[in-house]
Amino acid sequence: MLISKTGLPMLNRKKFIRQAALAAGALVAGPSVLQASGYFSPLKLTILHTNDTHSRLEPFPMDGGRNQGLGGIAGRAELISRIRREEEQVLLLDAGDIFQGTPYFNLYKGEPEIKAMAAMNYDACTIGNHDFDAGMENLATQLTRHANFPMLVANYDFTGTPMENKTQPYKVFKKGKLKIGVFGVSIEGRGLIPDSLFGATKYSDPVQKANETAAVLKRNEGCDMIICLSHLGNQYKESNKVSDEVLAKESENIDLVIGGHTHTFLDNPIVYKNKKGDDIIVNQVGFAGIILGRLDFEFSKFSGKKLAKNHNISVSQKTGG
Amino acid sequence: MRKKIPFTFIIIVLFVAGFSCNTVYQSQSLQHNNYRINETQRKDSALLNFLQPYQEQVNKTMNDVVGTADKSLDKKQPEGTLGNFMVDAFLSMAEEKYATKADAAFLNFGGIRLTQLPAGNVTTGKIFELMPFDNLLILQKLKGDILQQLLDLTAAKGGWPLAGITMQIKDKKAVNVMIGGKPLDPNAVYTTVNSDFVANGGDNADMLRNIPQITNGYLMRDAIFDYIKKMKSQGKNIHADIQNRVTHAQ
Repeated sequence: MLISKTGLPMLNRKKFIRQAALAAGALVAGPSVLQASGYFSPLKLTILHTNDTHSRLEPFPMDGGRNQGLGGIAGRAELISRIRREEEQVLLLDAGDIFQGTPYFNLYKGEPEIKAMAAMNYDACTIGNHDFDAGMENLATQLTRHANFPMLVANYDFTGTPMENKTQPYKVFKKGKLKIGVFGVSIEGRGLIPDSLFGATKYSDPVQKANETAAVLKRNEGCDMIICLSHLGNQYKESNKVSDEVLAKESENIDLVIGGHTHTFLDNPIVYKNKKGDDIIVNQVGFAGIILGRLDFEFSKFSGKKLAKNHNISVSQKTGG
Repeated sequence: MRKKIPFTFIIIVLFVAGFSCNTVYQSQSLQHNNYRINETQRKDSALLNFLQPYQEQVNKTMNDVVGTADKSLDKKQPEGTLGNFMVDAFLSMAEEKYATKADAAFLNFGGIRLTQLPAGNVTTGKIFELMPFDNLLILQKLKGDILQQLLDLTAAKGGWPLAGITMQIKDKKAVNVMIGGKPLDPNAVYTTVNSDFVANGGDNADMLRNIPQITNGYLMRDAIFDYIKKMKSQGKNIHADIQNRVTHAQ
């Protein structure tokens, strides 16, 4: 008797196919479900992001300055709500420096900033150097009292400080059929954050920690996509200074870096090749909530064997919307 | 017929198992879009309501006009008008508050927290935005060679605002440094005005970490408010020019 690759007798093969089709048909209720299942049309994930919002709760005042009228939480919240109505799977992320920059912070020490992010349903943020500005105890208080989202940082060890157990290295989000791993890395505090504020926080190499964390997210957590929230800065003239560019090129398993710190307005996301030759995307949207970044990823399903040797992503500007 | 039911069931199991093992989702394409949030963007009324009580309090304390800017002042490297205005304020007010003559004042470029101070009325809130940190204005006595190291650092970082000093940037070093109109003397001791942030080693100023600070708890922000008042009493507005304090060597 002939044996096919499926291990079923050849005679039964036609029957198998017919049965399988029927079984598949029985599993799914109709074409719409088939589409959503990702077998026939790609799955989609919309990532919305901010960085360095710096206590800019109101738009810039109408004082003739170059940013007048831009930004503000009420406009951002309305825009986010609209996109959430249109898209099924949305992640809303921030890359740090939520605090400092307007008198709101001098008066309220970050309370309205965190409350507003909670109201907008942010999924996660990382920590920026200015989030230390009113002290670690204050940051811990604001997060404990008002946040409904985690602060992610993998390369700070807060043991023995008021921030101990107030952050986590990463979080895995289930978005429909997709598993998305998000983690954070932040900048060296020494020489940037006053010692009196950085306290006993231990900083470790963000590239090494990023690769370690991404490996855990890939292998142990089985994530389909890995996002790094970075407060390292986009790129520096000093070649030895770690940045998103350095991280991207030295990384493995990270698909996307949402950056901050350097207040860089990028017209288009930057695509780098990582250590293995795979594409990795880096984006950053200036500062002060002037811009809400939007990245729509489409996913296809592959059998492990059929994956291309290198992972390439085609990038284009979204039209309309 | 009875045999068919379990067979179909097995097929379903095989089908599901076959696809769920060894299969992955992978991102294939990315479409990006930057939304610029401008005045035409509709506002979320819940967030507007949420902000209102905070806003009222902020407006009460922050909206009074403290001075007038003749022209808009900009944050620029290697030298900008906004930075020059600030270090002029620091030098002038430090001399007054510490009752001493000072040779130079510095500000780390990153310590300027507005990219621009628009022309016209300047409010308390605007000065808070310009200098939000509660950093102290302090004095340090620096030997010329240490001062040179600090100026080299500012050169490597693209130029910081300086008062009392002129210099050029060449290969990330400070050259042709003039202080009080004379070339920098590595053995002389200079009285310098700085923020406690930089003096404590902030912005990589490690050479300053172990040098004693003279401090009376005077805030840098208050120095700006006081300087604006002082200028006003002399009939002057908020003003600064580019004076080739810091340039790139040709």
